[in-house]
Amino acid sequence: MTNNFYIEQEMMYSGSLGCRGCGWSMMVRYISDIFGEDTVYVVPACCFSIIAGPYPMNALKNNIVHSLFAASAATASGVRAGLDAQGKNKTQVVVLAGDGGTFDIGLQALSGAAVRNENIVYICNNNGAYMNTGIQSSSATPMGAVTTTEPSVHFKKNNPKDLMAIIKAHQVPYSATASLAFLEDYRMKLQMAKKHYGFRFLMVDGICPPGHKIEPEDAIKVARLAVNSNAFPLFEIVEGKNKINHRPENPIPVTEYLRLQGRFKHLFSTNGNRDNRNSEILEDIQRNVDERWIELGGNIFNI
Amino acid sequence: MTEVQPIQVIKGNTAAAVAAKLCRVKYIPAYPITPQTTIIEEIASMIAKKEMDANMVNMESEHSVFSAALGSSMTGARTFTATSGQGLFYAHEVLHAIAHFRQPIVICNVGRPSIPWNIWADQSDSLSQRDTGWLQFYGESSQEILDSIIQGYKIAEKLSLPVMVVSDAFYQSHTSENVNVPEQELVDSYLPQRKISENTIQVESPKSFGGLVPPEIYDRFNKLHWEAMNIAEEETIQAGKEFSKIFGREYGAVEAVNINQNTKTILVALSTITTTIRGVLAKYPEVGLLKIRLFRPFPVISITEIMKSVSPECRMITIDRNYMGEKEGCVHQEMKRALYGKNFPIYDVYAGVGGKDVPPETIERIINFDFGQNVDPVWIDI
Ligand SMILES: Cc1ncc(C[n+]2csc(CCOP(=O)(O)OP(=O)(O)O)c2C)c(N)n1
Ligand SMILES: [Mg+2]
Repeated sequence: MTNNFYIEQEMMYSGSLGCRGCGWSMMVRYISDIFGEDTVYVVPACCFSIIAGPYPMNALKNNIVHSLFAASAATASGVRAGLDAQGKNKTQVVVLAGDGGTFDIGLQALSGAAVRNENIVYICNNNGAYMNTGIQSSSATPMGAVTTTEPSVHFKKNNPKDLMAIIKAHQVPYSATASLAFLEDYRMKLQMAKKHYGFRFLMVDGICPPGHKIEPEDAIKVARLAVNSNAFPLFEIVEGKNKINHRPENPIPVTEYLRLQGRFKHLFSTNGNRDNRNSEILEDIQRNVDERWIELGGNIFNI
Repeated sequence: MTEVQPIQVIKGNTAAAVAAKLCRVKYIPAYPITPQTTIIEEIASMIAKKEMDANMVNMESEHSVFSAALGSSMTGARTFTATSGQGLFYAHEVLHAIAHFRQPIVICNVGRPSIPWNIWADQSDSLSQRDTGWLQFYGESSQEILDSIIQGYKIAEKLSLPVMVVSDAFYQSHTSENVNVPEQELVDSYLPQRKISENTIQVESPKSFGGLVPPEIYDRFNKLHWEAMNIAEEETIQAGKEFSKIFGREYGAVEAVNINQNTKTILVALSTITTTIRGVLAKYPEVGLLKIRLFRPFPVISITEIMKSVSPECRMITIDRNYMGEKEGCVHQEMKRALYGKNFPIYDVYAGVGGKDVPPETIERIINFDFGQNVDPVWIDI
């Protein structure tokens, strides 16, 4: 297994339509590098439907099936079956979906494919909102964030869905989280996903400068803070066991991660101090991060 | 007109959101989709600013949006939502249920087509839902979108039928126009609170809704719906008359422009294309426009009345911004049905599908097109 950062076989053309600093293009560059030529992609409606290129262009040197929004895992199941029927068992079928297409509208099809243990790879770019349509809340939107459907004082009041726990409950062969700020780990997980047979699931922390209201040059820094504050822990689930891949020695307070993002700006007053109500929300967010981390680690100690 | 009302310069989508507010809608289940999204964003913003007293909920799909709307409406709460293209397609099953549960829900659909992806003006989404039992209105201006939503609730609640107000993507939804935004009191006087009916849940009189109906009596349910549909055109005209008394703007099921015994050609069109045609007519005194505002049920009574004055040689040209997998487009099919037994030569033109612009020059090309003996539809500007 090579653990360098380099793209070995460039399967993505330059000039794709992502915003500056968009996580989608970078995420897919690594996926397509590792999965190579013998791969078919299924892409439901999401920002990547646009980034992949308007007709007649195609950002990838692979086939892409643009699927309906709710239907990527079902469409991929059909592509798999059709390929298998023609003896093309080696061809990988990879879904590239957003969080809306995974946590919300696509959940039924995802659950169906997972429980049938379809031999497909499902990769979710979790940027925490419906970004293609302009930053509306999804059930992956983190607590405290402002979106266009939960504006100002109506910011997101509940915690995002714990999708990894749902995937785990389906007892699939391999699932993991990954971050573009930890490329070795990310590449390793793509290799692992490729190596396994059956339903494989990867959730990547999605970088989105316009949606998170961050500067493009801070994108990777913010992604690193997400991991180092335990807001987005890196772990794998293999044979029903959690395995944490990165344990920050001194986890930084989650406020350090939130503070850089305009979508949480209202939680911090202009002089950097917090008012009481906001400090309660920030404490809630920190508590949730801690609890989930312990839950994750708890499982580890049980091994 | 009772008084001069404030003019605002707003987009079609804002007009739809403001209409929902003016109708004192209580519940808006929502899911984003271009080009509808700014409607629900605007509603979310008005609620956050406490300008609107309603509950907007982010749902997980349009199937859930329409199902939640159904549930809320069944309790008697005035319910609104908006969607586009894929969202409406995905809700198809629920559209039937809403119509046959007889729920007076009003929605705004900002039209766009299906696969391959396209987000631009096209009426294939709503027109392909013409058989779901909903009333359909096609709006030509932001004003008409706003007014049709207000009238929509009036008609919907009278007939216990759902209403879909359709607006053109971008040309309407994202274009700013002068809109007369009526005072709340005027809307309240036109549209009083919704009354409970036999189709609403009442805790004190328990009953079951939608349970299995055996073959011997299933047809009765369809017939009741059919009877309501049959008077929908008259109700539309009536609601338009009442509306004009309070607001000063007149609406019917259709609008005839420059149609008389000297008219040699009539263009039949919906939504924003009709505005372009109006501009072209000045150059063509022998050409008329038949604007279809109420599309479902198809306004056969109004059309028959208008065509009485027209000479039998007059050409009819339907303009179809939709593709239905049939040789003729949807407007053409319906017009032929409305003109059954009459002998007007009738032609069909596919124009503006997938959002292609239909400028005045295209309208002129259509007017001057030599159809000859050709009865096949023409794909203009392709
Ligand atoms: C049935 C249906 N509803 C709504 C849409 C509109 N739509 C297209 S992309 C998108 C947002 C996708 O969000 P997400 O899955 O999180 O991916 P992202 O754009 O953030 O990458 C939406 C709502 C659609 N295409 N189909
Ligand atoms: Mg997203």
